[in-house]
Amino acid sequence: MTEFYAANSDLILFAGAAAFKTLVFLNGVMGFTALLTLAERKVSALMQDRIGPNRASLFGLALNGLFHPVADGIKMVMKEDFVPGRAEKLLFTLAPFFALVPVLALFSVIPFGDYVMVFGYQLDLQIADVPLGLFLVLALSGLAIYGVFLGGWSAKNNFALLGALRGAAQMISYEVVLGLTLVGLLMIFGSASLQDIVRAQGRLLFGWLPAWGVVYQPFAFILFLVAAVAENKRTPFDLVEGESEIIGYFMEYSSMRFAAFMFSEFVEIILISMLASTLFFGGWQVPYLYESGFILPGGKALALNHYLVALLQVGAFSAKTVFFSWFLLVVRWTLPRFRFDQLMGLCWKRLLPLALLNILVTGAVMLALGKV
Amino acid sequence: MISVKKVDNRPLNWLERIYLPEIARGLAVTLRHFFVNLFNPKGMPTVQYPEQQLELPHAAKTRTRHRLKLRADNSPKCVACFMCQTACPAYCIRIEAAEYPDNAVEKYPAVFDIDLARCVMCGMCVEACPEDAIAMDTLEIPGGEQDRARLKLTKEDLLRNLPGEPSVVGAANRLANEYLKSKGGA
Repeated sequence: MTEFYAANSDLILFAGAAAFKTLVFLNGVMGFTALLTLAERKVSALMQDRIGPNRASLFGLALNGLFHPVADGIKMVMKEDFVPGRAEKLLFTLAPFFALVPVLALFSVIPFGDYVMVFGYQLDLQIADVPLGLFLVLALSGLAIYGVFLGGWSAKNNFALLGALRGAAQMISYEVVLGLTLVGLLMIFGSASLQDIVRAQGRLLFGWLPAWGVVYQPFAFILFLVAAVAENKRTPFDLVEGESEIIGYFMEYSSMRFAAFMFSEFVEIILISMLASTLFFGGWQVPYLYESGFILPGGKALALNHYLVALLQVGAFSAKTVFFSWFLLVVRWTLPRFRFDQLMGLCWKRLLPLALLNILVTGAVMLALGKV
Repeated sequence: MISVKKVDNRPLNWLERIYLPEIARGLAVTLRHFFVNLFNPKGMPTVQYPEQQLELPHAAKTRTRHRLKLRADNSPKCVACFMCQTACPAYCIRIEAAEYPDNAVEKYPAVFDIDLARCVMCGMCVEACPEDAIAMDTLEIPGGEQDRARLKLTKEDLLRNLPGEPSVVGAANRLANEYLKSKGGA
């Protein structure tokens, strides 16, 4: 046995480090998701001149509603777990997993920092540096359609089926746009590994402008944001579920099964925020911060400890994620809902041609600059 | 005269059709509310109800929880005439009359129940009462209860006087005053 350990020590170390990173990162994401369910209610309340939930308390301590996610969770677990008599039991049970698991798996390719040296071992702050990470993102987010469709179909309820059909049509349509907006970035950075893309964004343009993706592709960023919100099925593209009026694909779900659908929606918000900051806003990059410390364009330098640099980078990534999550919440509570024909028209008649045009222009400019 | 409102359904212009400037305009409105309320939460109109209560505006003060007034000798002013029960549009009052052993003139309510779960707080009972025996001036607003039965007020819950009562002076009940005088009370 000891020979086995000795022979494969680096492999075991790698596996242990990966398990540790998964544990820490996913728990962080889960905690943030729980807070996001509260933030959604609080942000919407503030936008509408209300106070929002502030009554759930632990030992008389309400903390302005901080315990509401806990109360929600307990409520969801205590509710009756109802399965309609004619439902396909197996698929009905599997559908929430199909909604939640691909989204959670996607966090494995997102770099949340550069690297940290721990006792001489280089710990990459990314769970898996997949060479084709960007394609993995698109592929797994495509899998989430199964959750919507199986959920609607297996309930054997015509209204749920209708919601599922809408959902599948919407998600597949916007999947196309989502993929095409990222082609421009692929052309510029020449790599599909998200860590490579983030590292490439650490350069400076003209000696002072951080070479973030949004500087190269401002137009693609807007298209990406629109397509991602549509993919996430939130207002103004929420007619798949339309909680208040339209009957959605998870109408027969109750208890924790319903919570899984709802939870996956909030996890997707975080995912979109992380992707937006990774691809377009430099990921963990802080402007003018390098491995040795700050080097300002004027030539002034400020040397920083390695651990402090890593902390700043992880902090920058978290701050960007929080900002985009907040922005998505604000957008959700500002805009009215599209009609279904408008939704499809926007995707196929406007966003898709614009995304293709973006690729064409990017290619033409790169050819003109001789960067090909 | 029917008034007609003309709606200007002009087609969207180019800037409106690409949505983005209009989205920015909408975001400006919601973000202004968000940040104003974030940094000045006291400016919001919300009242934290059970802990914090606004003073009720004029007429609403006479539409709070019911009470039955008492005479100086702690007998109810109510003579069980069923006027309020008849007037009640929500059928929430239930009265059972009984007779005083030594008074052949008037009755008293042996049972007087008000079911607050049904009451619509209209104040018709107060209007109907010929004896000024029922009032809705306690300034208590009936709230939610865990149990339906707890919303039922019995005679014991209802009979009470506000500070400064009872005053025989000016009481509308001539018979009661005579009855009290004959008993030698004041």
